[in-house]
Amino acid sequence: MSRAFVHVCFLFMTIPLPFTSHSQKQEVVIAAAADLKFALDSVVAVFTKANPDVDIKVIYGSSGNFFQQIGNGAPFDLYFSADIDYPRQLKEKGLTLSDIHLYGTGQLVLWSSTIDPAIDKMNTLLNPSVKKIAIANPDHAPYGRRAEEALRHYQLYDKIKDKLVMGENIAQTAQYAQSGAADVGIIALSLALSPAMQQTGGKYWLIPADSHQPLEQGFVLLPHSKDNKGASLFMNFFTTSEAKAILKSFGFNQP
Amino acid sequence: MPHPPTSTIRATKLLHTAQGPQRLDIDFQWQQGRLLAIYGPSGAGKTTLLRILAGLTPTDSGFIEVEGETWLDSSRRLNLPTQRRSIGFVFQDFALFPHMTVRRQLEFALPDPNDNSIVAELLSLMELNELQHLRPAFLSGGQQQRVALARAIARRPRLLLLDEPLSALDDDMRDKLQDYILMAHRHYGLTTLLVSHHLPEVFRLADEAILLENGRIRTQGAPADIFAASSLTGTIASIEESDGSFAILIQSLHGISRIAVPKTEAAAWQVGQQVSIKILNLSP
Amino acid sequence: MIDWQPLWLSLRLAGLTTLLLLFISIPLGYWLAYSRRRWKIAIEALVSLPMVLPPTVLGFYLLLAFSPSHGFGRFLDRYLDIRLVFSFPGLVFASLLYSLPFMVNPIIAGFSSLSPNLRAASRTLGKSDGATLVRILLPNIRPSLITGAVLSFAHTIGEFGVVMMIGGSIPGQTRVASVAIYDEVQSIRYSLANQYAIVLLAFSFLILLLVYLANHHFNHAKTLP
Repeated sequence: MSRAFVHVCFLFMTIPLPFTSHSQKQEVVIAAAADLKFALDSVVAVFTKANPDVDIKVIYGSSGNFFQQIGNGAPFDLYFSADIDYPRQLKEKGLTLSDIHLYGTGQLVLWSSTIDPAIDKMNTLLNPSVKKIAIANPDHAPYGRRAEEALRHYQLYDKIKDKLVMGENIAQTAQYAQSGAADVGIIALSLALSPAMQQTGGKYWLIPADSHQPLEQGFVLLPHSKDNKGASLFMNFFTTSEAKAILKSFGFNQP
Repeated sequence: MPHPPTSTIRATKLLHTAQGPQRLDIDFQWQQGRLLAIYGPSGAGKTTLLRILAGLTPTDSGFIEVEGETWLDSSRRLNLPTQRRSIGFVFQDFALFPHMTVRRQLEFALPDPNDNSIVAELLSLMELNELQHLRPAFLSGGQQQRVALARAIARRPRLLLLDEPLSALDDDMRDKLQDYILMAHRHYGLTTLLVSHHLPEVFRLADEAILLENGRIRTQGAPADIFAASSLTGTIASIEESDGSFAILIQSLHGISRIAVPKTEAAAWQVGQQVSIKILNLSP
Repeated sequence: MIDWQPLWLSLRLAGLTTLLLLFISIPLGYWLAYSRRRWKIAIEALVSLPMVLPPTVLGFYLLLAFSPSHGFGRFLDRYLDIRLVFSFPGLVFASLLYSLPFMVNPIIAGFSSLSPNLRAASRTLGKSDGATLVRILLPNIRPSLITGAVLSFAHTIGEFGVVMMIGGSIPGQTRVASVAIYDEVQSIRYSLANQYAIVLLAFSFLILLLVYLANHHFNHAKTLP
């Protein structure tokens, strides 16, 4: 009885799981900072039209989280980080396969669906009708770190710190503001320009770039992409002027 | 004629009863083919004794040899598992398998599934033919008891162990089922150990009785020898009836004894009949 | 257009987990129900731990255990070429731990509710413990087995925290329905999130409805003469 049981269990463990059956397409898995959400989707759409054999899957999240996951062996082929420092650290640990490419500089905006932040600019945050302010978690989201720096630069941080709510990444932060859960959000310009945010009818104001460290963003090929031609194809495509134009249109300043 | 094989049990075990710890210390023998009753007050250790024989309850020390085969010898660290002891056990709650029909219970018990002739025989002997496709939930207490008995016998055991099999039944049912037990015991030439705290049952069924008290054997012998303290002989002088209750008056050397009897038995007696009265000592 | 892949992945994860749990929990539940060893209490507590533990605690330790940069994960990765972190087999393993109490506890309760004499009776009829388990005990705890299976299945479908910690939201591998909803909400694709959510809601309701119907049926059957 018990031997038969062990046997059956073993059988289950060794049955090839259906997801391992590869299609003809070459699969590339990308871990990307959440501010790239709409820009990267557009780049991928253009790329896929030219390279239908490559199946690109993008997972969006916070750059710091991906950094941790890659360190723990996550099977990503490419890593797009909102803070170029993360890929640099990976390279120092020998966890990369290529040089690090700077693909743009991100910009911070104040975004609200109820107030026009262009009127009072940073002082919008002191408006008594503002009860909650969404920022990304500074511990692991680069946009959160820069938002905190900007708040300190304008000497607002201590005054409003009780109103802060933390998004797990910049996309969730934008969603907090979009849904009205937070009255104002400090989010990425690339997200403020996205169709989903614009449809809500919110308004934004660009926070001056000199109020914080630059949001230098970089990407790198990871060891998991070894022998994956699709991954290097996509990397090369990302440095073309066509891709750069798309990024620029989503508010990423180009080097 | 050679002597029938003898079986032996010696066992000690510390019991934790409601009245505190109590030591079970037993040592007795029985002969093949006998029906032995184990009688005693509740808490005396009767059920434990039966379960020790079946290997369902461990002992502190013990020795069991049944018809030449050693089942337990704690001095040699020998302990035959229940499965390998040739026993049929009828539990107090019958322990019928709820998901099996009567027939399937008997078939389950067969030592050799290919030889199921005994199933049909038992079904008719125990008058279970019409119930054979029912599950226990649809049977009365008496019917369940018959199934439990038939199932224990279907295993073709050397030793049949009955743990107060009739205690859950009313008196009428008891009488009928005693007949079934006796019939099965004789028909299959079994050696039977019956736990009971019902004295009439002991008298009716047992060749031999053991009186168990406080975990020890007080005495062993024929029921009449153990329990009969005195007897007197006389003649029925008259039978009285008042308000539907009956009594017979018996004239003996020591005078007249008046004994109340149930209405159903009154008709069995006649004035002038020679009778003997036995007075039993329930705690000899 | 709804992408069925996350839902299908959730179903596959829950189905495989439930199946494996049945095989694991029957012997484990049997041992926990019948063993007389004192320290089995500790095992019982350990099995039930995921019921009270925040999923992130389990996720955190599994992440440490599976990571190819540490001891055990490194051993698996180097010598057996198995990587459990951010992979479907890893999720199955995590779900086994996470849903274990939901399978084992009903099974223990089922065994304990049976008269101990049933097991004894089968033994006196010469049947081995294995045969007794398969032919006598299991058929009589069928409602417990069904309850355990349904609860484990539903609990695995609803798993989120552990998957977030060790899954990595990889489409077709670890992006199960509950995580997909989270992702879609972040992307402000509410209608897509809503579609997943509605399917899960309807599915969960259906499952519980079936459990209660089955319980009702069993209870009803018991009260017959």
